[in-house]
Amino acid sequence: MTAFLARRTATLGITVLLASFVVFLIPYVTPGDPVRKIIRSRVAGEVIDDSVAQALAADLGLQDPLMMQYLRWLGRLLGGDMGLSYASRTPVAEQVLPALAVTLSLVVMTLGAAAAVSVVLGVVAALQEGRAADRVITTVTQAFIAVPEYWLAPVLVLVFALNLSLLPSAGWSGPSSAVLPVAVLALRPTSYFTSAVREGVLDALGAEHVVAARARGLGRVRTLRRHVLPNGLLPLTTLVAVWFAGLLGGSVIVEVVFAIPGMGRLLYDAVRNSDIPLAQGGVVVVVGLAVLLTTAADLVHGLLNPRLRGRRA
Amino acid sequence: MRSPLRSATPVGLVALLALSGCGFSGEEGGAARAADREQRIVVDNFRAPVADWALESDAAYILSLSGCLETLTRYDEAAGEIVPALATEWEQVSPLEWEFTLREGVRFQDGTALTADAVVTSLRTVLDAEVPARAFSPAVVSGVEAVDERTVRITTPSESPLVPYRLASVNTGVLAPAAFEGGSVDPFGHCTGPFTPVSEQPKQSLTVDRNEDYWGGEVQLAGAEVRFITDGATRATQVQTGEADVSLSIPAANVAALEADSAVEVLKAESPRTATLYMNNGRAPFDDVDFRKAVRSALDLDALAASVYEGAALPATGPFAPSEPWATEGAEAPQQDADAAKELLAAAGYTAERPLEIIAIVERAEFADVATVIQENLKSVGVPVTITTKEYAAVEPDLLAGDYDMVLSQRNRLIDIADPIGFLTADYTCEGTYNLSHFCDEDYDRLVAQAAGTADTEQRYELYARAGEILEEQAVNVWLVNEQAVDAVRADLQNHRQDPLSRYVLRAETTKPAS
Repeated sequence: MTAFLARRTATLGITVLLASFVVFLIPYVTPGDPVRKIIRSRVAGEVIDDSVAQALAADLGLQDPLMMQYLRWLGRLLGGDMGLSYASRTPVAEQVLPALAVTLSLVVMTLGAAAAVSVVLGVVAALQEGRAADRVITTVTQAFIAVPEYWLAPVLVLVFALNLSLLPSAGWSGPSSAVLPVAVLALRPTSYFTSAVREGVLDALGAEHVVAARARGLGRVRTLRRHVLPNGLLPLTTLVAVWFAGLLGGSVIVEVVFAIPGMGRLLYDAVRNSDIPLAQGGVVVVVGLAVLLTTAADLVHGLLNPRLRGRRA
Repeated sequence: MRSPLRSATPVGLVALLALSGCGFSGEEGGAARAADREQRIVVDNFRAPVADWALESDAAYILSLSGCLETLTRYDEAAGEIVPALATEWEQVSPLEWEFTLREGVRFQDGTALTADAVVTSLRTVLDAEVPARAFSPAVVSGVEAVDERTVRITTPSESPLVPYRLASVNTGVLAPAAFEGGSVDPFGHCTGPFTPVSEQPKQSLTVDRNEDYWGGEVQLAGAEVRFITDGATRATQVQTGEADVSLSIPAANVAALEADSAVEVLKAESPRTATLYMNNGRAPFDDVDFRKAVRSALDLDALAASVYEGAALPATGPFAPSEPWATEGAEAPQQDADAAKELLAAAGYTAERPLEIIAIVERAEFADVATVIQENLKSVGVPVTITTKEYAAVEPDLLAGDYDMVLSQRNRLIDIADPIGFLTADYTCEGTYNLSHFCDEDYDRLVAQAAGTADTEQRYELYARAGEILEEQAVNVWLVNEQAVDAVRADLQNHRQDPLSRYVLRAETTKPAS
């Protein structure tokens, strides 16, 4: 187990380091002069004086060799300093942390809702395998996968905000403002989770010890609670962690449409404004957290599944 | 010379009314309901402040539209001229010096008095900014100093009649000295306007309260919330649901639905933006005026405005919108004439040796469709065209270097100040810093230089009009459509006046009846 932990930690460190280099390079390999992009983000207008551009480039250290800029940035990053936002000239961390808190709460609500719904649907589908309820649940949840967020978001706004006046159309100011964005974000994970729960429960139902328990006369509900669900829901842990990581940076459309001040919106604005330090800091945090989460999920999975742990160790 | 611009009667005053702020809300449709001074409203704006309220940045627009930031002079949409604001009068005391007399009795929202020293502190901050605003940069202003407690002197590097216009730019808004303590800009409680910012939800909104001591009269609303909502469809929805009272910059796709809603009023005004097909006059085949005219004749601007822009833009009549006071009177949009185009192509000796390229910048999503329409139009007269889409920042170096055929872009002619001199100089003079067309004409340059030094507004506008005619005669570019600024407001909002440049939204006189 110790070797497994050490290997996973080393992999995590290398992954984050490589990711940080890729993240750092992105603004420099995309088309256009970063200095001109920065100036355009600060002041209205298209005409940019060369002397202003050169002075700003020198001031920001953008004329140094790229590797020197990367090492300088990495050194500061390791010391907990993500630099100053080009646009606002305030520390990047001061913008990233509040945005991260918003996105984390959005993601937790989304995955909580998706997991709760999918456990119910998945168990019902498994217990009703092959019957009408199973077919309906499987067909409907599979259809969720095909529904794109950019389509669903305006439809829900049209129905629940505009026509029924039940919910706010945008903003982030209380539980009611979270309902629509959570519904939009939860749709696809619910589909995958339901399928995973159904398969997990079916596998568990067929396990020898479950059959034996039933044969011993253990009640249906107790069998389900004690023997089926603990193993049947195991695949859900990894899936939740993977989706957690994905939603951290993948909530851009929802955050823009619903005007939510989270990481997606922050990264969208940072890219639009060519705010390189803000974009770099934001992506590094998202990537770091994503890698951490998937590693944690792996560890949890390993701990819960002795066979897997033994094989890895 | 005493306040020459104040007394001048600009050419086409009525037309300018249409240009800038023709949309009013409330009252006209029937008897106005009694205003409720406890009402607060919500304004959905299309951008959020990104530069920590630095006055030289776009954040100044947000402070200005929120009723916080005020300037020494102001471009009055109704009057169509520069009018007094924090300064009551101004005078060009020597060829390079202007003096502005400050209004008496004005106090910043922190209780300190508006003095010349305070104004100088504020203006110098903008002038000394790392990236100065073009309206008030060292290139056009060489000094700012206090002459006495109520007089501010502005010095220019060359004689300029446009200094009062520069001081109407929102980037020259005045904050109390306390706003600049600590190295960053803090507008909270440091403005002079009808509304005081009281709290900010970063990336979300700015809340303002009524300024009880406003120098400009009693403020009717108790306060407001300015929300930063970048998605246009969301802004349109919010004004329909009643979550917002004003939604700025409505996308064309949402206009029809809003117009069908009796609880919403859609306000439209010509914006000083013209979508333009830039042609590289510096290289073949565009270096031949007949070829450029052929391109113009081949295009169907009416169809373009009706289809791609869904009627939210009008066919352009030249480099200026028809309602602008410096536009040529009676100018009409060029009509498609394929036969004339073919004759001009023959006159130019054009042979389709290689397909010409149109670059459509991705920042304006509609340009991809515009390029397709142009491609079809030109193909019908025998000019093959390919289309590429690129990010503006990626293509700018090629445009400035003259390494392109055609590019679709658009310009705000009044981006610096309410006068087109910056646009005409930067974009079309031989030494222009933004001469994407690579056009060079001595007669044109002489006219623009003469206009830049002409204090008489009427004469200056005539010179601008003549400059525009040269550009049109030379078919330097094809000006495609004049865009419209479209805002939506709740129908019960009273005394709201639309500003096509979104500088002024929350005003002292805006009211709302009890709901």
